[in-house]
Amino acid sequence: MAHDWQPDFEQLVDEHQSMVFSLAARMTGDRGLAEEIAQDVFLELDRNLGKLESAAHACFWLRRVAMNRSADAMRRRKVRCTDFWIEIEEGHAASREERGSPLGARLEQMVATLPEPQRAALVLRYQEDLTPEEIAATLDAPLATVKSQLQRGLKLLRAKAESQLKEYVRAKG
Amino acid sequence: MDEFERELHQALERRPAPPGLKRKVMDARSRIRTQRVRNQTVIWQRLAACVVLAGVLCGGFAWHEREEQRKGEAAKREVMTALRITGHALNQVKEQLAAHDHEN
Repeated sequence: MAHDWQPDFEQLVDEHQSMVFSLAARMTGDRGLAEEIAQDVFLELDRNLGKLESAAHACFWLRRVAMNRSADAMRRRKVRCTDFWIEIEEGHAASREERGSPLGARLEQMVATLPEPQRAALVLRYQEDLTPEEIAATLDAPLATVKSQLQRGLKLLRAKAESQLKEYVRAKG
Repeated sequence: MDEFERELHQALERRPAPPGLKRKVMDARSRIRTQRVRNQTVIWQRLAACVVLAGVLCGGFAWHEREEQRKGEAAKREVMTALRITGHALNQVKEQLAAHDHEN
């Protein structure tokens, strides 16, 4: 199929490296592994550049491949979700000051302890601002399943927050 | 979106990629491309070597076949010459015998 879009690989890496790395890091809980996954995703992008029709298509493709590669990596390495927080603590010690909110950091930690399908749905919903329909397309899952994962994930997260985060309770009160 | 979701949204904002990620990707891409070109060159070299080898083998086989045919034809000519000489000799003997019978 002919299309006019002329992709610039370097520019695509510049634009999307943060997205791909963040998705992989939040899904695997391992910064090093996330970096490897991000590299693999971009190298695969290079191989498939000719098949992509627009910048939006490239972004969708990158999200989808990043999520798939992360799921594959987790299956292979069986990384525990709880490792994520340790990685976040070590890897983002400096950036924690930038993000400021300790409540946010605790929430991020709790997201990392969610089951994989719920975590995937929530990360795509709140990191990437995707609608349930877009999440369903990205994960190649039925819309009803995605909505259910989002609801269950949020419910579980709220329950964890209620019991674990005094700040949140205080803020809520 | 309620307060909790807003907090979650903030907590899950994108993190900056490690500083060296782009360079690593570009280096790996460059390495892969160089390797690909090298592999293609090796493939073409091997293909060319196979074509040359096949040409030499076919040429050798054709030469061998032609040589066999030439030898066969030479042998055939020799046999025919031998047969002609033998026939001629037998005719002479036959004539001599006939002359000898006639004298007796």
